[in-house]
Amino acid sequence: MVLSAPPRSTPPRSASARRLTKSAAPKPRRRIRSASRMDAFAPYMYIAPFFALFAVFGLFPTVFTFYVALFDWNPIGGQTFIGFENFVTLYGDERFWNAMRNTFSIWILSTVPQLLLALFLAQLLNNVRLKFANLFRMTMLVPYITSVVATTIVFASLFGRDYGLINSFLNLFGIESIDFAANTFASHVMVSTMVLWRWFGYNTLIYLAALQAIPKDVYEAAAIDGAGGFKQFIFVTIPSLRPVIIFTVIVSTIGGLQIFTEPLLLSSPGLTGGAGRQFQTLSLFMYEQGFGDFKFGYGSAIGVTLFALIVVFSLINYLLSRRITSDE
Amino acid sequence: MSAKKIARTVIAGGAALALLAGCSGGGDTDGKITLDVWTFGGMGLDEAFATYQEENPDIILKVTNAGGSDEQAQALTTALAGGKGPDVAAIEVGYMSQFKAQPQNFVDLRTLGADDIEGTYLDWRWSQGVAADGSVVGIPTDVGGLAMAYRTDLFEAAGLPTDRDAVSALWPTWDDFIDVGAQYREATGKGMIDNVNSAIFNPAVRQGDEMYYGSSENDLVYDSNPDVKEAFGYALDAIDADITSRTPSWSEAWNAGMNNGDFAVLAAPSWMMTYISQQAPDTAGKWDIAAVPENAGNWGGSQLTIPAKSDHPEEAFAFIEWLMSPERQLEIFQAHGNFPSTPELYETPDIQNFTSEFFSDAPVGPIYANSVESIQPIFEGPQQRIIDTAILNSLSQVENGEEPATDAWTNAMKNVTTALGG
Repeated sequence: MVLSAPPRSTPPRSASARRLTKSAAPKPRRRIRSASRMDAFAPYMYIAPFFALFAVFGLFPTVFTFYVALFDWNPIGGQTFIGFENFVTLYGDERFWNAMRNTFSIWILSTVPQLLLALFLAQLLNNVRLKFANLFRMTMLVPYITSVVATTIVFASLFGRDYGLINSFLNLFGIESIDFAANTFASHVMVSTMVLWRWFGYNTLIYLAALQAIPKDVYEAAAIDGAGGFKQFIFVTIPSLRPVIIFTVIVSTIGGLQIFTEPLLLSSPGLTGGAGRQFQTLSLFMYEQGFGDFKFGYGSAIGVTLFALIVVFSLINYLLSRRITSDE
Repeated sequence: MSAKKIARTVIAGGAALALLAGCSGGGDTDGKITLDVWTFGGMGLDEAFATYQEENPDIILKVTNAGGSDEQAQALTTALAGGKGPDVAAIEVGYMSQFKAQPQNFVDLRTLGADDIEGTYLDWRWSQGVAADGSVVGIPTDVGGLAMAYRTDLFEAAGLPTDRDAVSALWPTWDDFIDVGAQYREATGKGMIDNVNSAIFNPAVRQGDEMYYGSSENDLVYDSNPDVKEAFGYALDAIDADITSRTPSWSEAWNAGMNNGDFAVLAAPSWMMTYISQQAPDTAGKWDIAAVPENAGNWGGSQLTIPAKSDHPEEAFAFIEWLMSPERQLEIFQAHGNFPSTPELYETPDIQNFTSEFFSDAPVGPIYANSVESIQPIFEGPQQRIIDTAILNSLSQVENGEEPATDAWTNAMKNVTTALGG
């Protein structure tokens, strides 16, 4: 937060400098131009701390991962160059495809209901007749700022097989207890619920901001044309929110493909994400191989694959969003 | 912006980075030596550390508790991979095989006089700290030992004997144990044990003289060793006889189950006594301790190692030697229940007459001593934990009804092959 403050303050300053140059008299122009050159340089210095840190903690590890992926690399032992063997083994590894299936399943189960819920809540919070609107809006962020560990412990207890609140509730209706941690689909629902809980408030607030930016007269025009609340929502609200929806989908996709903490905590002890690897995501599989089984090379190959996957998905999202925005 | 300003910015940035890198490694002050000691929870060493600190004012003990044994193993991996390490690092036996496969990361304790104290410890326990090349990587801490903790009130309700000798006599073999479980199910409708991994497979598979490896790192016998298949079979029989309450160890339901009587029997190494008494304080006096079938077993224990990067290996070794001496181990046992790995104590009155109030005044000393004395040294190779995880997971899948028992062994072997190949 502190880091981002200086760059934010720079654009207006250089913009005003540019304006100055334009209106200035010919004589002092040279001096001002050199000042503007310094000003042109200043923003780079302001953002340099971020890029220096990014180079050390972001770029270098990423590039190094590609390098490590080509080795049989024991973190506390030797390293042997084996070329692309890790990748060949990986794409024939059942556990990898299993982790891939789990990741996508959990991603879809968490993202789709999450965004729909966020849209619904944003619509509610945008209601002008709502009292204490700010209180409700702030409340949306509470799950987001709560520690994931705390959330996971509470949810794990809710979803417990013998003593879980959810199963007690199901039992009331004569439904037999579900072993959420052991069953594949049920465990995905459990993990997805935790992810949904953590992120829906964030997306709600983003949608809410976008909703407030829609001009009132568009709705008035629609109302005059005879569109009711639902029709207004479909034909006015949704199209106006399109760029924001695209943004949230991209962010949720990148986050969803990297789900790690919830399955890790549920998996403890052990890193397999359940006895049948039923909720082991790609990130957890990577961690298991690298840090649990001491196979850094293999773990890196998983990391590289995950990276490629995210790039592909981001590209698809980008192309889609460009087409949609150019439609407008 | 002048060049001077830029330089200043760069220097400030560099300083920030150096700060972030968090250069550790405190210097030794006033001729005092600092020993960096990494432990994890449940080792029961705190009082011993305090005593040592008092007796050795020239040494500063800097103890870091990583939390659990998994966290400790990961912290140590990271440190060693980065070419660092503390002066003394505890490693849980489950991880020992992985670390000792790379003995170059540790001081060979033979160079510091480990040979002289080898005879003090149980031979199989000592061998857990010895690498394939013969170098001594770690000195044993406590030994788990194994007994079956059982609930006398639940046994009484099920019409089973409650006296500890009578209960031990109920199950000289694993087949008998499963039969008792079946009786318990019939009488109460509940599972007798917590889960088959902890109560059956783990103890049973360690009762032979070989496990997943024969005599060397390349000699994998997990698929051919009859002991493994036999232990696996006992676990499947137990699931078939429905004697398990399917409660995973260390889960919340497990802790609650100890209190609520969801299961009546649980494999209990010596250090587990403290755990049960903390998790289920209201059940004090309702527990007792009987022998495990086949009367031998162990669960847990650690080795204390000296990473090769230590600046003070001699001092570190002297510290370990002191800390794991029989006298100290006896004190730790009396305070925390961690059973000594030094057999010379077993015949002393301190152990022979040691009883536990929580466990209905059971003579836990002799019971645990018996369980560890007949264990054979087992060779554990670098992939020990990976194989173990794959097999235990396959059993859990059957226990949870996610996979059929008929394919369990085939699946387990396939999973091990995949895990080893990856």
